[in-house]
Amino acid sequence: MTGIRRRLAVCAALAAAGAALGGCAGVEPWQRDVLARPDMQLVADPLEAAADEHIYFSKEASSGGQGFGGGGCGCN
Amino acid sequence: MQLKKRKPMRKLRNVGTPLAAATCALLGQAAPRTVDAQELAPWDFDTSFLIYSEADGRVQDLSLNGIARKELREDSFLNLTFALDSLTGASPSGAAPSNVVQTFTSPSGNASYTAGAVNPVLDSTFHDQRIAASGSWQWPVTRLTLMDVGASISNEYDYTHLGVDAKVARDFNNRNTTLSFGVALASDTVDPVGGAPVPLAPMLGLGNMASKRGDDSKDVTDFLIGVTQVVNRKTIVQLNYSLSNSDGYLNDPYKILSVVDAVTGSPVPGPAGSGLYRYLYEGRPDSREKQSLFGLVKHDFDGNVLEASLRYMTDDWGVDSQTLDVHYRWGLKDGRYLQPHVRYYSQTAADFYHTVLFDGRPVPQFASADYRLGEFDAITLGLKYGMPTKKGEWSARLEWYQQTGNADPAARVGVLTNLDLYPDLNALIAQVSYKFGRR
Repeated sequence: MTGIRRRLAVCAALAAAGAALGGCAGVEPWQRDVLARPDMQLVADPLEAAADEHIYFSKEASSGGQGFGGGGCGCN
Repeated sequence: MQLKKRKPMRKLRNVGTPLAAATCALLGQAAPRTVDAQELAPWDFDTSFLIYSEADGRVQDLSLNGIARKELREDSFLNLTFALDSLTGASPSGAAPSNVVQTFTSPSGNASYTAGAVNPVLDSTFHDQRIAASGSWQWPVTRLTLMDVGASISNEYDYTHLGVDAKVARDFNNRNTTLSFGVALASDTVDPVGGAPVPLAPMLGLGNMASKRGDDSKDVTDFLIGVTQVVNRKTIVQLNYSLSNSDGYLNDPYKILSVVDAVTGSPVPGPAGSGLYRYLYEGRPDSREKQSLFGLVKHDFDGNVLEASLRYMTDDWGVDSQTLDVHYRWGLKDGRYLQPHVRYYSQTAADFYHTVLFDGRPVPQFASADYRLGEFDAITLGLKYGMPTKKGEWSARLEWYQQTGNADPAARVGVLTNLDLYPDLNALIAQVSYKFGRR
């Protein structure tokens, strides 16, 4: 029950954060020149991110966060 | 959410079509069919070669990786990935060092290896090749909703993974806010050399496989919900919550624990006739639930980009971890850049982590001496250099990774008091990448 409550609390917090962040909108499509640059993408270098995820998944007890943490490797 | 320069163009094109029709009507001509002037991107590729090298003769990994990406139609992409890893070296077995030479039966049951007095116990029979591939397809379901489905497969000598995933992302708020939800399912089979050990069964002598059984499996379900928010023209933030459930065989089949005398700390005799001291194969719970909260901020400082992320993870094994990761892309002349990287990671030990078990005491329900389930901090320091080419980019990075951990304080008895029960892990990561095929 505690786990379910905790998950609900996190979901509520995320929704609240989303709503709060929604308030800071105001960037129009034609103002996306900076955000559209490859180096401003959320994952700017997918191969580097994948390599790091693979290494840390193999050496630490945590994984995922930005993406799925399932792993798919016998190294942990 | 992929932010693209093309978005504003769509509006212009939509204006263009009725304008052309109106012009044609005035000129008394039939309106031409809409011509899609947007040329689809050709295939583009990311490729890299990576060397991961641990000090002290531990794990070495040579890895080739590639991503191929094709735009099928506007906002619709096919992504294919490929990875090939070759692993050699030695891996800590979990057994504690001692003041005497220790002999172990290798996983196959056909050979043995030894660890000298006071030396860390490394299983040098470890080697593997891994091949992995995945494919995903992203397409717009509606004007504001993107769907992404994918599948993955990987194979090692002793492990097979099959996975599928799906993700949906919906833009709101003039595309300044994106909410996403994803689910991934994996079904993995572990077929260890010599068979999967019975949890907490004793290591036996050469040729005796009574502690081993056949292959085993585990299923993993991941859920992820996230929000991405454009804060201003130069700042974007991301917040994700993820939940991961694993069920099945979650042991590392090659990890063992030492059973030592509770006063002297010396190893105690193992099964009669085996010629071994007493070691037990590890036994972890057969389920695990992990939750994590991940936050990222990315900001442009007039061509230099700061990316900072925090992750908090907790699971029902008693592991809590925090991760801070910071990259700063420092733009140089002609599109070249330098990118320093700092990462700090800290985790608590799993409830069932034991550096050693003591003779004469009841064997716990679950136990593992795997250093990755112990309490440790890790730091990564790195530097990357990138250089644009006509249709892509070259880049190279070098990073240093160090883990510094703490053994279970209860293990510091007798001869173990002065031995290094949790050796540092030092590794170098070198990666050279080449991206090409971009317009």
